[in-house]
Parts: sequence; structure tokens; C-alpha cells
Amino acid sequence: MSDPILAVSNLGVDLQREGRIKRIVDNVSFALQPGEVLGLVGEAGSGKSVLARALVRAIAPPLEIVSGKVVFEGRDILSLDPRALARVRGNRIGFIGANPMGSLDPRLPIGQQIVEKLRSVQPEIGRAEARDRVLDFFGRVRIPSPSARFHEAPFQFSGGMMQRVMIVDALVSDPSLVIADNITQPLDVTVAAQIIRLIDGLRQSLNTAFLFISSSLPVVAQLAERTLVMQRGQIVEQGLTSELAANPRQPYTRTLLSRIPPIWKDVMAPTATDGEAVLKVDNVVRTYFVRRRGSFNAYNQVQAVRGVSFTVKAGENFGIVGESGCGKSTLTRLLAWLEQPDGGRIAFLGKDLSHLSAHSLTEMRKSFQLLLQDPYGSLPAGMPLLRMIEEPLLIHGFDRAEAARRAQEAMIEVGLDAELAHRLPVGLSAGQRQRINIARALVLRPRLLILDETLSALDQVEQAELLDLFNRLQATYGFSYVFISHDLALVRRMCHRIAVMYLGRIVELADNTTLFEQPHHPYTRALLSAMPTLEHNHFPHTRYLLDGEPPSPIDLPLGCSFRSRCPRAENDCQKTDPPLLALAGGNYAACLHRHEKETADVE
Amino acid sequence: MFVLSFLLRRLLQGSLIILLVIFIIFTLLRVVPGDPARLIVGGMAPDAVVAMKAKELGLDRPIPIQFLSYLSDLATGDLGTSFVRPKSGASLGGSAFDDSTREDRAKVLDLILGTLPMTLQLAALSLAIALSVAVPLGTLGGLHPGRWPDKLALGLGSICVSTPNFWLGIVLTLFLSVKLKLLPAIGYRGFSYTILPAIVLAVEIIPFILRTLTVSVAQVMREEFIQIAPIRGLTRSRTVLLHALGNAAIPLVNLLGVQLGMLLGGVLVVEFIFDYPGLGLLTINAVLQRDFPLIQGIAIFISVMFVAINILVDLIAMTIDPRLEY
Amino acid sequence: MSDIVQQGAAPRTVARRGLTPTRRMLQIAVGRMDFRIGFVGFVLLVGLSFLLPLISPIDPIKIAYSSKLLPPFPAEGWRWPYLLGTDQLGRDVLMRCLVGLRYSLLIGLTTVILMFIVGCSLGLYAGFRGGWVDAVIMRLTDAQLSIPMIILAITILGVSRPTVPAIILVLGLSGWPLYARVARSVALGERNRGYVLGERVLGASDLRIMVLFVAPVVLPPIAFVAVLDIARMMIFESILGFLGLGVQPPTPTFGNVIADARKYLLNAWWIATMPGLFMLVSLTCLNLMGSALERARNAVLRGEA
Repeated sequence: MSDPILAVSNLGVDLQREGRIKRIVDNVSFALQPGEVLGLVGEAGSGKSVLARALVRAIAPPLEIVSGKVVFEGRDILSLDPRALARVRGNRIGFIGANPMGSLDPRLPIGQQIVEKLRSVQPEIGRAEARDRVLDFFGRVRIPSPSARFHEAPFQFSGGMMQRVMIVDALVSDPSLVIADNITQPLDVTVAAQIIRLIDGLRQSLNTAFLFISSSLPVVAQLAERTLVMQRGQIVEQGLTSELAANPRQPYTRTLLSRIPPIWKDVMAPTATDGEAVLKVDNVVRTYFVRRRGSFNAYNQVQAVRGVSFTVKAGENFGIVGESGCGKSTLTRLLAWLEQPDGGRIAFLGKDLSHLSAHSLTEMRKSFQLLLQDPYGSLPAGMPLLRMIEEPLLIHGFDRAEAARRAQEAMIEVGLDAELAHRLPVGLSAGQRQRINIARALVLRPRLLILDETLSALDQVEQAELLDLFNRLQATYGFSYVFISHDLALVRRMCHRIAVMYLGRIVELADNTTLFEQPHHPYTRALLSAMPTLEHNHFPHTRYLLDGEPPSPIDLPLGCSFRSRCPRAENDCQKTDPPLLALAGGNYAACLHRHEKETADVE
Repeated sequence: MFVLSFLLRRLLQGSLIILLVIFIIFTLLRVVPGDPARLIVGGMAPDAVVAMKAKELGLDRPIPIQFLSYLSDLATGDLGTSFVRPKSGASLGGSAFDDSTREDRAKVLDLILGTLPMTLQLAALSLAIALSVAVPLGTLGGLHPGRWPDKLALGLGSICVSTPNFWLGIVLTLFLSVKLKLLPAIGYRGFSYTILPAIVLAVEIIPFILRTLTVSVAQVMREEFIQIAPIRGLTRSRTVLLHALGNAAIPLVNLLGVQLGMLLGGVLVVEFIFDYPGLGLLTINAVLQRDFPLIQGIAIFISVMFVAINILVDLIAMTIDPRLEY
Repeated sequence: MSDIVQQGAAPRTVARRGLTPTRRMLQIAVGRMDFRIGFVGFVLLVGLSFLLPLISPIDPIKIAYSSKLLPPFPAEGWRWPYLLGTDQLGRDVLMRCLVGLRYSLLIGLTTVILMFIVGCSLGLYAGFRGGWVDAVIMRLTDAQLSIPMIILAITILGVSRPTVPAIILVLGLSGWPLYARVARSVALGERNRGYVLGERVLGASDLRIMVLFVAPVVLPPIAFVAVLDIARMMIFESILGFLGLGVQPPTPTFGNVIADARKYLLNAWWIATMPGLFMLVSLTCLNLMGSALERARNAVLRGEA
């Protein structure tokens, strides 16, 4: 084995505040070989991001490096003078962060900013040469039409494209080490998979070492040969990634592994019970008009929801999944009747909502409720808990005593301590706040609950508790749930039937087992193949992963809207926009060339 | 194309606003007590003369008709004629009702355009003084929140904003002009007469720039792209000068547009104290003499300037930051 | 990094978090040195201005030639109890300042309350309703903003009689658009916040949401900054007084006292400068409080504390 390119020994970082000292990075030692990809996993708050910054000495008060050495290419970074440090940072060591949209000056063209960076770390490079080099890298990370995009500002890029720009920014000075801190975290699953694949290709051609940091072991496992596991500032276990996943030695690593929800192995898909239709959505359309940038009065049509139909039955869990921009948030607003559809109808318990009078609509609102994602913003601050839970009853004209009685019952039912009744919500955890929201919905005795990413702000443990609560309430009251989520593992666990959305449409609607094991639409397969898993993925990257990004909902391609990214697209896809076709078993898919006969590639 | 459509939209919006302003001012001046015709001819004049004057000025017609004829005059660039001011020099007052004819009185537009350069000179100098004091201090304050430059900026800002401008004018005149004889103060006989009023006006502007700049610089410095710049290999001086200041300038430019009205208020008082022959002095005298056409003309002229400067400010902000769109 | 830092600091913030944001802002502001200095000074001066005229035998209006043009305290020849000297008619300068402060504060405070009520309710309504209501209200504020408030004020007061209610009305009406703008922009932001959507889904009416939920969140931070405007309005009041368009003599106000004393500037400098200095000190106290509140508000809204 050659000399390590980076050797960290006994590194310690403290947080000092108001005379109290807290150790954030505790005596960390590890080494990284040239060209190696080393993974680092740990939960939020484990200190991994602070560690990443300590490696490049980007630590400012109240944080302080208190001990250790960071030997990079034979010299200790922590004892370099500022000028020597400036020759290393951004030059020999590249850094990519979790916030690509915020990483460059929002006003200036990205090309200019990367040239600026390159020339400030390598002043001997001329302007023209620097520009050529940046353009060359734009091509290598597959940014389409690099010379045009060179002159665009960050706000004109999508998150995924901007992360590619930041990869160029890190690699353009030809560093021997790149620190990648949680770089896929803000991205959609198919885009994140592309980035991973891109990094995998680049490091083979460049021979650059990577420290790849993530909170998810499956993500790290896609790239890293060796992995460090970090808990409360300490490296608790390290070893080959495959070894670590198969035979964890430390209890903490085992806990991490046990929290990864299964997708295919040992899964009991919930099976549907047949009931009456509670919610019927019929060919719903919603289009926004947005003034075209830089025009006097020309408007763009943003087709957010384009002809969506489905039915939710009593006692059923219905899932809606899709990536950002697929129209699921708009659909949520339509379902909750916060906005009215431009076309089609939404009927609840057999009554078309657009035909109801204001009075009967208010009455009807009692029967369908929405739970939002953000547990902090969704509660009115400055109102005591009990009063908050009484609020829906007071709106609907119950008297105070009755409202108070029912609110107290609901608090107990959702597992909120009765002592909290007269407290303000400040200081409560995300999970407790969501319980308040559930109680607020519950007191009205609704028939349907719409859950808009309700659980995604919660940690795994809180999530599991709330899912149990949902199941219990369903058993007691016969609720139906609509889960709107980007989290495939969650819908896999909870939902009877699942709709997959792409660009404002449902492209596939199937029961849980079919969708995860024998999906018909290429997009569904792509979503599944992009999921980072430790178990064997039934849909290998090489075959199903997508290229490019979704087209803008302003100008959709003619014919099938998925064809621009579809690996199976043929000539007829340009002409025909496939409708949602009924398949066996009450399932639907909108594709001319379905994976019909093909069973999943279970090897 | 981009700029054209923007200008078109803003000009339309602006003319709507100006129309509203004209309407408000016009109505306001018609409903307040005080008969302008009597004012012109003087308190001693017989009623018949007053009525004749009113007829001559068109004041006897119904107010909507007056408004429409005023509007059509405006459209040709005619802001009307002063009630009291002759074409040359000092105001006449209203004592002698038979000695001045309408033709001898000055055009409102000429009066405004005649005094405007003086006011612009004053405003430019005071803005230059204010910026040269407040920009460095405000930037330093924003770079070191909670430290001495920040505290100095806060303290200086609090004191400046608490200083009544007329009082400061008097005190500075007493010390710098009367006692130390450093600067001339009253009237105007050369550029040096602008300095003292400009200082007083600058003291009024400084706190606003300080406050905006310390807040916006401190805010930009917390942004990810500034925090991450040293890791990307950029030097601190480059980051601060090019990236932080560039972004912090946008709120400042917007502030200058919005606070223009305040600046004008200051101009009024300062010109009055120093007897500085600008637009402000003209305004105050017009009010004290109830010269309605002049008040009306000045108010409309100022709101046109206000609208125009705000469009300009938005254009500047757009060139600094391409994300903005109005 | 920031998320980690906050994680690390969690125990500290949680301990203090059992408060609503508004209480938290107040708490931070009160903890600041500049707030305390301002508060003590201001309470002292205001207390004095209400107490001293009650207990002191000196009448701020009564003319006494026997004691005219006495210099202020440290200078040669001052006489007890005329701390800040006397004016050309032998009236005590300090006493006139205190009475002036009373009027000034009364007018400033009432004006700001008026501006706040008118501006915030229109702004809230515009931002919350959107659509044409919003467009109409906003064009109106644009128009009002483009007429410089001082010109408006002196025009109205110049042609009608300047009484205290007229001054308050004029200042208040010309100052509301800024409040309307701020309230509107905040209301626009709140309109799509979770708690508002939550109420909508529960079936609450717009009015209920606005009054019961949005206003308590949105208004206190605006009110904090309004403290700065009290000082600004007090200055405007004194400017009007200086131009002869404020409260009329013999009632002493900062403006008319200073305007009057200009004639004696060369032989009795204190009559004009002392009231200004007095005003400067009391306004600085008020502004220190206001900016401390503003900074506390910013810190809380940014989520730093």
C-alpha cells in the first residue's frame, strides 16, 4: 500500500458556548489512500459535517479545533501558514456541499465564478485557458450546451444541474482529494442516482480520492470501498463497506442497518379491503398562468396537473409518489379543496365539491382533513395546545364545554400528555407537533385524511410510532388515508394501492405488490432502480436508470411526455400520448411499450 | 426587449400613480378653507373685484370642469401660472389688487425648473457626504456584528436619527459660521454656501444607509456562498468586495428609491433654514403664501420625479442582480 | 455546518424556548445594554416631564422680566432653580422643554398608533385577500408614497388651522402607506404558511384566520419597529412647529421655542440650543430602545435565538 494521501490523527473539535464546552468531533483518526473512495456515515448531528470542515480548517467560533493532525500530501494542514493553506484549499482539496443552489453568488454567471476560483488558486493560468478548461469539464459532467450555460446565473439551473456545476468547481483545479458532504441529500432520487453514477465515472478517469459523506449507508455503499461509521463525534466502526453491511460488529451500526426499511426482502405488502368509494377524482386538470419572464403581457401555461383520475375506497391507504415538479403538491391542494380544479371533478362521499354551497362545503370539510409536512409552521404559535385542538370544533359551532371535552379525549387518543393541555407548542418535538395536528383532524371525525409528506420531517423512530398510530386510528374509525410522498419505502410499507406521477399525470396505478415487483411503466422501474438499497435491487442501474431531467411543464414534448427520457421510446411515442390503460388485476399504466411480459429481473 | 417591456409596464403603472396624485392634490386644495381669489386681490378688495378675479382664473366653474381643464393643460406641459409671483424675483403679495395683471406672473414650470438645479446640487453633495461616511462604517459594522464597528454604527445612527435638522442647522451656523467663520451659511453666493446645508442633510440620510447596510451585509455574510468561499479557494478580500458588497448593495439601492420622499422633506426644511434658493424654499413660500397653482405644480412635479427615480432604481437593481424582475 | 452547530446548542435553546416569539423578542431586547440605557433615560425624562410641572412653582408660560436671559447651569451667572437658563421673557427653559416633550410625545405616540392601525389593517387585508383588492390598495399606497409627506402635511396645515388633532391626523394619514406595505408583504408570506392552510382545511373563515391567527403573529414585530417611528414623528412635529405650522404659542413645543429663539442666538445661545439638546437626548433614548427591539426581532425571525 502506498502512502496515504490524507492521514487524520486524534482530531478533536469543541463547541464553546456560554462557558459550556461540548465535544463535536472526538479523537477521530483515519487514513485515505490516493484514488480511494472512503465513505463516512452518521445521523444528523453526529458531527460529520464539522469533521469535513475541520479537514480543510474551515472552523470558526464557537467551534474550535482542539487537538490532532490532518496530514495531507505530507504536510499538516492544521499548522500551515495562511498562504500555504490557501494553496491547498480549493486547489489540492476540492469541496462539494449539500446546498448546490446556495454555493455560488446568485447574481453572477456560473462560468465566470468557476474561472475566478480556478485563477485565484492557480494564478499562472490565463483567462482563455481557464475558460476552456471549465467548458471542457462542463462537457465531462454532461451539462447540456455548456457554452450557453456558462453565462447563466445559478437561479437558471435545477438543483441537479447545479450540483454538477459544483462538481466541476471542485474538480477543475485537478485536486487529489475531494470532500463530498451529503451531496445527494437535496436531490430527487433519479437525479441523485445520476450524480452518483457521474462521480463513479469521474473518479475512475481522474484518479482523485473522495471522502464521501452521507447520512444514509445505502447511498455510501454505492461508491465507497471502505466506510467509517460516526456516532456522537466518534468513529465507532470502520471497514470494507460490504463487510460492514453484512456483518456489523458494533451495536450502533446494527441499529443504523435495522432502520433501513426493506423494499423487496421480507416485505409484507398490505392488502386492500374492498369498500365503498370515499373520494372520486375524475380527470382533474389544473393549469397556472405565469407571466413570461421579460415580457409585457405574455403568459406561460404551467400544466401542473393534467387529467388525473383515481378512486379511494373506505378503509384504504392510497399512495401518490413522484419526484419534485410532478404535480403532487398541486394535487394535494386540489384534494384538500384549497384550490379549485380548472377541469374535471372531485367528488367526496358522492357529492361533487364544486357544486356545494358555501355552507355545505364548510359542513363537508369536517369529513376530509389534511396533515401537512412541516410540523413547526403548521401550528399557530402562541395558542395553548388544548385551545388549538378545540379550534376545529369551535369553527363548526360546538359549545366550549363540549369542545373542551372532545379535545381532551383526542389528546389522550393520539398519545399527548394531558399535562401539556395549557402549554404553548414552543419547545415540543416534531413528533409531538404532528400528534397535535392529528388530534385537530381527529376531533371532527373525518372519513379521509390526506397526508402530505406528513412524516418526512420526522426521524425513523418517531415515524414508526406515528405509523402505528395511523393504523390504530384506522382500525377504530375506518379512516381512509391518502399518502402523498417521495418516500418509496414508506408507501411500500403502508399503502394498498399506489399511483406514480410524472409531469402532472398518473403514469402507473397499481397495487403494492405489482408496483414494486412487476411495474409496467419504464418510469416506475427507473424510480425503483434509482433507490439506494443494501439489498439486491431488482431493477439494476445499468438497465433502468434515466438520463437527463424532466422537461419543463411549460412546454411539454408532443406525444408521450416521458419519451425524452425513456429508454424504450420508439417512433410512435412521438405521435401518441398514451392514455392510462387498464391492465389485469385492476391496475393501470400509461405506456405504449409496457414491460408487459417481462417479469422483474430477479436473478 | 426585456428592458423595453419592463419600461413600458412601469411607465403605464407610473402614469396611473401620477394621475391619482394629481387627483388627490387637486381635491385637497379645493376642499381646504381659504379663497384663492380673495387672497390674490387682497383682503381689502371689494367683492366685485374678487368675483372678477375668480372668473378670470376660472375658479367659478364647477370643480370637475376645473380638474379636466387643468388636466388638459398639463398634457401640453402647462403647469399653470403662479398666483403671487411675478416673472422676475420677489413675490408680490396681495396688497395691491390693481397693479399686476395675470401675464406678469411667473409660469409654475419656469419657477420649478429655475430652482431645481440648486436643489439637485445640494442633494448630490449631501448624498456624496452621506455615502462616504455611511458606506465604509456600515460595511464594517455588517462584517463584525456585535463588535465595535457595529456598535459605533448603531450609536452614530441613533444619534443622527434623533437630531432635529432645523436645530442642527442653527447650531452649525452658530459654531462653524458665526463663531469660527469657517463656512458661509445664509443665502447663496457660490458653491461654498451649499456645504453647510449639505452636511445637515447628510446627517439626516446617514442613519438610514447605516441601518440598511449593516443589516444587509451581515445577512449576506451568513449566506452559504460566502461561508464556503474560502474552502473554494477565494481570498477574503475578493469575497467581501466582489460578492458580499455586490449582494448587499441591492437593498441599499432600493432604500434610496423609497426614502426619496424623506430626503425631499429634509431638503425643504434645510433650504428654509439656510435661505437656500432651491425647490424647497420655493415650496415653503408657496405654502405660506397660499399659491395654489405653485403648490399643485410642485407636488405633481415631485411625484413624477419620484416615479421616474424609482424606475431608474429598479433598472439599476436589475443590472446588479439578474434574478430581479418587476 | 449550521445545522450541526444548532444541534450542539440544542439544550440551551430548548430551555429558553417555552416562550412565544414575541415574548422571546422582548426578552432579548431587554437583555441588551442599549435598550436598558435608552429605557432608563427615557423613563426618567418622561417621568420628569409629567411630575415636575406638577410640583414645581415655575410656570412655563408666565412672563417674568425680572429673571430674563439667565444662562444655563455651568455658565457664569446662572440662578437656582433655572438649570437650563431662562428665555427673553424670563421663562424657565427646562420647564418649557418638559412641557414640549409632553406634547411631542403625545402627538408622536397617537400618530404612530393611527398609522399602525390604518396601515396594518389595510395592508393585512390586501395581502391576505390578493387579487383586485390588493391591486387597488397597493396603487393607493404608491400614489400616497409619491407625494412627499412633508409637503402634504405643510400644505394641509398651512391652509387650515393647525390644531393638535389636525396635526395628528395629517401626520398619521401621510405615514400609513409604509405600514400598509410592510403588513401586506408579511401577510402575503403568511398566506401560504402551514397554520393558515390548516385553518382553511378545518373550515375557518378568512376573517377568523386573519384576526385570530395571522394578526397576532404578524403585528408585534411591526409594532416593535414602530417605536422608531414615534421618534421620527416627534421630529416631524417639531419641524412643523418650527415652520409655524405646529401647536401654536404660547404653548411651548420644541419647534416653536427654537424658531422663536433664533433671533437671540448671538447673545443668548442657550434658548435655541438647549431645547434641541434636550430633544436630541430624549429621542436618542427612544431610538436606542427602538433599534434594540428591531435587532431582537431580526435575531428571532432569523431563528438565531
